[in-house]
Amino acid sequence: MATTNGTAAPLEDATGEYVFLDQLIRRMDRHLIYPLLDHESHAENISPERAEDLRLATYNLLKNTNMVDFVSQLHKDIHKSQTAPAEFEKKKQDVLTKLAKYEEDTAHLSNLLADEAVTSQLRSDKVANLKFLEEQHGVTQQMVDALYDYGRFKYECGQYPDAADILYRFRVLSTDNDKVVKATWGKFVCEILSEEWEQALEEVDKVKEHIETRLFNNPRAQLTAREALVHYALFPFFNYEPARDKLTEMYFSPSFISSIQTACPWILRYLAAAVITNRARLNNSHTYQKQLKDLIRVVKQEVYEYQDPVTEFVKALYVDFDFEGAQKKLTEAEAVLQNDFFLGSSTDTFVESARHLISESYCKIHQRIDIKDLSTRLGLSDSEGEKWIVNLIRDTKVDAKIDYKAGTVVMNHPSQSVYQTVIEKTKGAFFRTQVLSAAVAK
Amino acid sequence: MSSRFFHGGDSDSDSSSSEEEELYEREQEAESEEESEEEEDESEDDDSSDDDDVPGTGASRFLKPTGGAADSDESDEDEGERVVKSAKNKRLEEIEQTIGKIENAQKNQDWSIISAEFDNLNRQVQKVIQQGGTPKMYIKTIADLEDLVTETNEKQKASGKKMNANNARGFNAMKQKIKKNNKEYITEVDKYRKDKDAFMESEDEEEEKVEEKPRKSQRQRIEALDAAIDDEGFATVGKGGRALVYTPESILKHLRSIIESRGKKNTDRQEQIRVMERLLEVANTAYQKVRVLLTIISTRFDVTTSSVQNYMSQEQWKAAQREFTLLLETLEANPWLVVIEGAEEWEDDDKHPPTDKVLKVPGSVVSLLERLDDELTRSLQQTDPHTAEYIERLSDEQALYDNIVRSSIYYETVGKKPEVGKQVDSLNRITIRRLEHIYFKPVQVVKILEERTWTTIPTNMDSDLTPRGKFIEVDPLVSTLCNFLFENSEGIIRARAMLCQIYFLALQDNFYRARDLALMSHLTENIASFDVSTQILFNRTLVQTGLCAFRAGLCYEAQGVLQEICGSGRQKELLAQGVMLQRYSTVTPEQERLERQRQLPFHMHINLELLECVYLTCSMLLEIPLLAQTGSSPDVRKRIISKTFRRMLEYAERQVFQGPPENTRDHVMQAAKALASGDWKKCQELISKIGIWDLLGNDKEKIKTMLAEQIQEEGLRTYLFTYAPYYDTLSITTLSGMFELDDKKIAAIVSKMISHEELAAALDQVNDAIVFRKGVELSRLQSQIVSLSEKAMGILESNEKVLETRTAGTVNAFQRDQGNRGGRGGGRGARGGIQGLARQGQGRRGGGQGFTGGVLSGAIRT
Repeated sequence: MATTNGTAAPLEDATGEYVFLDQLIRRMDRHLIYPLLDHESHAENISPERAEDLRLATYNLLKNTNMVDFVSQLHKDIHKSQTAPAEFEKKKQDVLTKLAKYEEDTAHLSNLLADEAVTSQLRSDKVANLKFLEEQHGVTQQMVDALYDYGRFKYECGQYPDAADILYRFRVLSTDNDKVVKATWGKFVCEILSEEWEQALEEVDKVKEHIETRLFNNPRAQLTAREALVHYALFPFFNYEPARDKLTEMYFSPSFISSIQTACPWILRYLAAAVITNRARLNNSHTYQKQLKDLIRVVKQEVYEYQDPVTEFVKALYVDFDFEGAQKKLTEAEAVLQNDFFLGSSTDTFVESARHLISESYCKIHQRIDIKDLSTRLGLSDSEGEKWIVNLIRDTKVDAKIDYKAGTVVMNHPSQSVYQTVIEKTKGAFFRTQVLSAAVAK
Repeated sequence: MSSRFFHGGDSDSDSSSSEEEELYEREQEAESEEESEEEEDESEDDDSSDDDDVPGTGASRFLKPTGGAADSDESDEDEGERVVKSAKNKRLEEIEQTIGKIENAQKNQDWSIISAEFDNLNRQVQKVIQQGGTPKMYIKTIADLEDLVTETNEKQKASGKKMNANNARGFNAMKQKIKKNNKEYITEVDKYRKDKDAFMESEDEEEEKVEEKPRKSQRQRIEALDAAIDDEGFATVGKGGRALVYTPESILKHLRSIIESRGKKNTDRQEQIRVMERLLEVANTAYQKVRVLLTIISTRFDVTTSSVQNYMSQEQWKAAQREFTLLLETLEANPWLVVIEGAEEWEDDDKHPPTDKVLKVPGSVVSLLERLDDELTRSLQQTDPHTAEYIERLSDEQALYDNIVRSSIYYETVGKKPEVGKQVDSLNRITIRRLEHIYFKPVQVVKILEERTWTTIPTNMDSDLTPRGKFIEVDPLVSTLCNFLFENSEGIIRARAMLCQIYFLALQDNFYRARDLALMSHLTENIASFDVSTQILFNRTLVQTGLCAFRAGLCYEAQGVLQEICGSGRQKELLAQGVMLQRYSTVTPEQERLERQRQLPFHMHINLELLECVYLTCSMLLEIPLLAQTGSSPDVRKRIISKTFRRMLEYAERQVFQGPPENTRDHVMQAAKALASGDWKKCQELISKIGIWDLLGNDKEKIKTMLAEQIQEEGLRTYLFTYAPYYDTLSITTLSGMFELDDKKIAAIVSKMISHEELAAALDQVNDAIVFRKGVELSRLQSQIVSLSEKAMGILESNEKVLETRTAGTVNAFQRDQGNRGGRGGGRGARGGIQGLARQGQGRRGGGQGFTGGVLSGAIRT
């Protein structure tokens, strides 16, 4: 799955977003880049040069694939001509004949696999299966390999669901580990592109397992594979709600987080955004605190290498305790997020959660707060601010009262009493001792 | 008698002296003939009783040696008149006897005797040959022997019968010896084989001649000498007064004899070097030149190995270096000649090898180069670094560096030849040498070094790895060299390359890159398995990274990295910058000598005083607020960042009278005290007064500002920790006045402290004040209870751990804890060192305590 850089030289890059996109694209699969570029070109108030640039990039990106019709359309758009060159026509014929050929090659096997009577006899043992098929139905190794080529070809044509299906069949039969791995990656991309998120998540697991077990002796390959996986997985990450927790966990697992830090720190933006938006759902649970802590640590460590408005926000809020700075960064981050392919939809949640975080940590530190000041800090009007604070008090269950006359909020930070701490500390002791003595007695 | 005297003078000095002795004894005997028998008893008495005053009485001293000899001499005389033989004839007779023995043994097939006698024979013959002419019978014997050996060998193979062990051993030894030996006499043996009778007939004449020869009058010999001198203008006088004439034809023969004498006792190497220098002048083909050069350079190195002086003198080194350059030039000019390790020797001394195809000459350019490098280092180690001599010696490095670059080019070109194949290994070795000459130097110096080198290399030559003119900047040069080594080498060379790159990056203030590389290299885990010099390099790299972190203003990181080296108190030893005198040392002289050999030359040193200063300053910035924070609670000594610093601080506090600070340590200690009492200005002043900062050069001012800022902040933190219990509220404005920091900064610092739960307080935004919480301060009993409960939990935990190891983790009840422990921190923190920098923030603090006494300690013990 070769990944190439499809974009042409960036135009004037004011926000550093083009460079960011470039970095991202470099690690993506060819077919996965298309949605990104497509999203870019649909952005509002896009300059004509930029649009042109993007179209050219898309053309360059796809011209080696088999999606001939689409490419020739693009060619027409770029050159403002009505007719496409003859080569496209020729290529189209080529593709069609090849497709027919592949279909023919694999017809036998496909029929077999579609046959209930045959599939019911298949077991989990691949070698035995292959032997069975070979003896009973005359299936050869070449036919199985042809299935792989066919799947790949379909994928190149942009028929992702079909490709995924074929690759799945291939994987069931093949004993060639290398090809199986390739097929897994291929199927993963296909599932993403056909928006089958559940399936995609399954593939993520498979790929991950492969990285951990097969590439055990090759740290370098492990790193690149993880890098690719981290990038590909962004699609299900932000498009499929149930995947969020699982993927956050995966990204934070020691091996992945260190891969991210080493090879692609820009992923931190997504990670930060994910953690912050998770707040609403996890509702301040233990895991959320832990994730936040991890995030702060990583962001702090990578400051020298990577910074963007999102990570800067985290840094301002939790490392420097600069609330004004955090507010400023939040506005910047909002703009960035809106234009981001992955994060665009969750911008509002992000801003909401970020505000919560600001006020939460603000309240924790302060005893008496001027409502006016806080409102401006959160970018809200006075009355809105007051409402916000009331909501906050209700949500986070902080012990606080509004002194309306003075226009202040008074926080009450009850300190934990010593007795409470001692009880907390020794809470599990009895139970643990019991378990211990039971274990010893065994 | 008189004739024998005269004769004795003619033969070589060894024999003459022995003969003289004989004569002397005989004379003695004549005199004491009658007395001797009586004396014998007495002398025996003397032996036992008069040991002490032996030198006293003249007579007894005389008698004692004669006593022993008398017997044999008497018996000699009894046999009858003595046969007078020339020394040479005597030898020939001995040889005959030996040959007789060998022949007998041949009949019995007793190879162990043959082998022993053969050795004997060779020794005897050697002496005869020195006087000229190989005895015919010797040739006959060895020829016959060789035949017999091959015959027996074949028979053995055919019959499959085994000899007994002793015999077989002798036979095998013989087989090898005879082959080797006969090569020398190949022409004579051939002659003998061709026509046995004719060869042996000529023997008689030969023998006559041999007998005649020693009788040649001295005059004749001088005449011959004169003739030789006339030929060449001057002549070298060999053993026995013969002129050694060097001709191009004889070069290889001379070389062979020199190589053979290598490693033997009593060879005069200086003499050999002189001979070879002459040979070099005479040599007229490239092949001969290369052969002579290879030998002369290694002989020069041998001089050092054997002499008392343990490094090469400068002129010897320079000569070797010149010859090395000459060798390279010759090889470059004659691409058909390739010096390579493990090549077959060109056997035929008389025939010149063909020049139209590649000829491999056995030898190793890279080894010579390495030796040259080592010798320079060794001489730098021995030279006082504060003398002009040291500087002068150091300037030789340029020449050496030229050679290094040039040899790497040579190996690159050689590697392209299909007959030879790629010389990856040699290239690696050269590249690492090159790297080790530049990694610790400032960029400007390396630039000059490189520039000059390229001017000495002919313009038609270029390197593939580092093309001429491509590397104006040093950074890419270093990374190119390193990348080359990463790709091609493994083990120690690779590790060293990595360390060199990290060191270089750290020196160039690239802290993050250095750190990341250090972490990725995983060298911390296996550095103990490398050799000592690599461990030293590792320590150096560690220290340099720490200093780099300090320059970048990262005191926390700097302290963490430096902890392991500086906390040990053995910096000198660990960095190989001096031998420590330990009070209770159990170091044997042998170990001490080894350690001295490992010392780095002075120009590579890292300034230890600066190092200590940096370490202490960083420790101060971390320790003082920590002390203030934990000061009030009873379980104070829980967290200690730097034991060394604490010890020093305690020591400084114990002193009754405190004078003005004198050295770096005094400065830091007094600054620490000032900081602890909240007097940050005095602290700043004391720190900035330290003279050693001057070494930081241009960074000096920057670093002082950085330190001043840090002191302000840490001063604020210390102040808050110390005085918080005494305040209800504190105005931020007042604080900002006290510490000369702006309000925002103070608010940020306080917020951080509150958020990390270091300070029980809250900010009052309306009044701009810090409100301290009441009732946070624990009573003594309460804090005791807290620590008791903690300890109880600790016991529980360790019990669980014990059970876990006993049951090998089968008890599921403890899975929960396992997850916590394995996850992060914990185990990783124990390693310290570069791990101190590791991204795992939690594990870090524990790091220092796990220190096991430095990387070197293991090495010294072995």
